[in-house]
Amino acid sequence: MTETPSFDHRPDPELGAALRAALEPKDDHSAFVARVMAGYDGALERASIATLDVLAAWFRPGMVAAAAALVLGFLFGRTILDRAAPESIDTAMAPIEGPGLAALVTSNDPPDASVVFTSLVEQR
Amino acid sequence: MKPMPAEGLPPSPPLPPHHPPQPQGGPARIGGKEAGDDQALVAQTLAGNRAAFGDLVERHAGQARRVARAVLGDPDDADDAAQDGFLSALVKLGQYDARRPFGPWLMRIVANAATDRRRRRNVRRVEPLDTALVGGGPRPDAAAVRNELNEHLRVALAELPERRRKAVVLFDVEGYSHAEIAGMLGIPEGTVRSEVFHARRRLRTLLADWKEPMR
Repeated sequence: MTETPSFDHRPDPELGAALRAALEPKDDHSAFVARVMAGYDGALERASIATLDVLAAWFRPGMVAAAAALVLGFLFGRTILDRAAPESIDTAMAPIEGPGLAALVTSNDPPDASVVFTSLVEQR
Repeated sequence: MKPMPAEGLPPSPPLPPHHPPQPQGGPARIGGKEAGDDQALVAQTLAGNRAAFGDLVERHAGQARRVARAVLGDPDDADDAAQDGFLSALVKLGQYDARRPFGPWLMRIVANAATDRRRRRNVRRVEPLDTALVGGGPRPDAAAVRNELNEHLRVALAELPERRRKAVVLFDVEGYSHAEIAGMLGIPEGTVRSEVFHARRRLRTLLADWKEPMR
């Protein structure tokens, strides 16, 4: 034992045997196996129940989240549909008042800044 | 409920209804052909074969109980922890990677179960040395001396930090490699070497003191 350096990468058989003897259970090996096997069904059942518990715990928040998503989706969709889309580019470019954008883009003269500004403000 | 099957499991060859019983306490190290048998037993357990799980317990019970006892000290607590470990392994069997050896995977679960139990009960059973033992009282025969040594070793082991205890038992008693222990304990291999070194230094001193009287 003492010849084996502590950093030896091999197990120390003497120390190992001494520790093994010190840790060896004294009672019947088969009794322990039987005891473990007695818990076999219970362990699997508990695991199954635990899985159901997890699912149950997630069920209510899941339903609330799904309902919230549905309501939000409905509101968003309705907002989109309520916006009347212009029928054509001409309609979109049509001035609300005054010469507007169409006049600006078709004119040969440089645009008047006040007209541009007014058009933009009017569009809003 | 059956344990969930894992991916990568080898096809399960038919096994005889019962393996020949292992020696009391099981082998110190399960490898080679036995490791292959472990994989087959795992596959059969996953298929719902209760007896196959019984064979796994039979094979690894001794090792699991020793490792748990190294952590907990008390043999009853250790058996409780080893049992917890086996049943926990049964439930988690679907997570086991069949390409790796089963023993280290199981021992990791058992060691963790023992650590959990120790934390829960806040147990540190470092029992005071019997004055008769400390004083080197009368030693009627070699068996009595051996019992005293065992008691001293258990006490010395209990005084070591938990990780050191696990490392030296897994290495010197159960025969796992540094790399395997590193995987089990979730620490670097160099740390395992260091833990084994320090544990050996303490335990060898104790053992050397007791060698002469036992002759």
